[in-house]
Amino acid sequence: MIRCKPLLGTFVEISIHTACLSQERAIDKAFAAIKNVQDLMGFHNPQSELSKINAQSYLQKIEIHPWTAHVLRVASEIYDHSHGLFNCGIGHRLVAAGLLPNNLDLEQHQFGGIEDLQFIDVHTVFSLKPLCLDLGGIAKGFAVDIAISSLLSDGIESGCVNAGGDLRVFGSEAQAIQIRNPAAPSELIHIGTLEHGAIATSSLYFSKRQQQSMSYVINPFTQEHIDFSGSYSVIANECIYADALTKVLAISGQTDHPCFDHFSAQAIRIAA
Amino acid sequence: MNWKPNPFVIAGLAMTSAPIVAQAKIYVSIEQAQKIIFPNKVLTKAPILITGDLQDKMRSASSIRHPFQGERIWKASDGGWFIVDEVVGKHEMITYAVGLSPTGSVQSIEILEYVESYGYEVAEANWRKQFVGKTASDAIKLNQDIQNIGGATLSCKHITDGVKRVVTLYDLALKQAHSK
Repeated sequence: MIRCKPLLGTFVEISIHTACLSQERAIDKAFAAIKNVQDLMGFHNPQSELSKINAQSYLQKIEIHPWTAHVLRVASEIYDHSHGLFNCGIGHRLVAAGLLPNNLDLEQHQFGGIEDLQFIDVHTVFSLKPLCLDLGGIAKGFAVDIAISSLLSDGIESGCVNAGGDLRVFGSEAQAIQIRNPAAPSELIHIGTLEHGAIATSSLYFSKRQQQSMSYVINPFTQEHIDFSGSYSVIANECIYADALTKVLAISGQTDHPCFDHFSAQAIRIAA
Repeated sequence: MNWKPNPFVIAGLAMTSAPIVAQAKIYVSIEQAQKIIFPNKVLTKAPILITGDLQDKMRSASSIRHPFQGERIWKASDGGWFIVDEVVGKHEMITYAVGLSPTGSVQSIEILEYVESYGYEVAEANWRKQFVGKTASDAIKLNQDIQNIGGATLSCKHITDGVKRVVTLYDLALKQAHSK
């Protein structure tokens, strides 16, 4: 059975290979787990834990949920290994470009980055500088991983979770993976088969045809919006890594960036 | 992780791509969605006539222009509501179900069908036609060909607008019509 719900700003599909009605509740639980990730890490929601970190971590230490702590730790790990190419501290740039809602006072110029966030203990953080973190480039992949853990703990043996193109498959059956042809998004390219793994893709073909002309991919060093016409995909064991590493690929343009080897990932670029 | 790339990808050769000019996915039927959103509850069909005035108010609350159809409304035995609606964008048509609590708060949203056309000259009538006479088992076959698509998907903003108009419908029509 395949179900689909609007979550994380996109459409999330969960498919499991079962005909058993009692297992359908497992899909409800997996969707609920994704909703939790959205409630914790949404930039759009002023009540989210992420908004609390952005508003207060510079002023006081904040206790955070283990899931948020995990995402921040992975974000910081990828920041280190990509030498700063993956940086979720650019929320204010996206706000300025009209790509994210304005919940903050942008006049307060000196925003720090993920490198300024310090862990006091496993679940408590504070920041050395004011922050405007946006987890949009990593939380979706994490939500897919959380949904899969939930399905596995409910005894589901195989399936797929696809959050708007960030997807992960599990189970003993290899699944065919298609990606949209960046030159003609209505066409699909069969790029291979995947078993027990995740793939995420970054491309601009849909955001461009909406009124927004600015790319959501920003080079953290030059602060420029990066425009590209092809598509970048990364395959990794976990979707959180696949999701975040597509930004390293899109910004560096290097499919052989040492970061991919380090995280046992593979990068694919498809030219438009 | 076990990744077997298509040999063309390794060789960097031009890859053939299969057109999906009108991608169609049917997820669950109305009946299945009712069981998902209101498990173990009896639902009774409760269609209402949408007056021009109500239609106007729903349009201005949601900015969705195509008319709402009042016949796809059900009332649950606990006083909740099950409403089916669709949003038609420039590039896609999405049918979805909303479950409302007895007090009108959104409990659950489920996508029933998702059809995209990408602005190729595919007339609306044509991509609707492919669903005529389709049963649940046909839907499964349709889905099998197009699973596991990576790459950007449309944003779900239209659905947010759609849910806004369903909530407006509750406020303006369902609340008073059925409160006793």
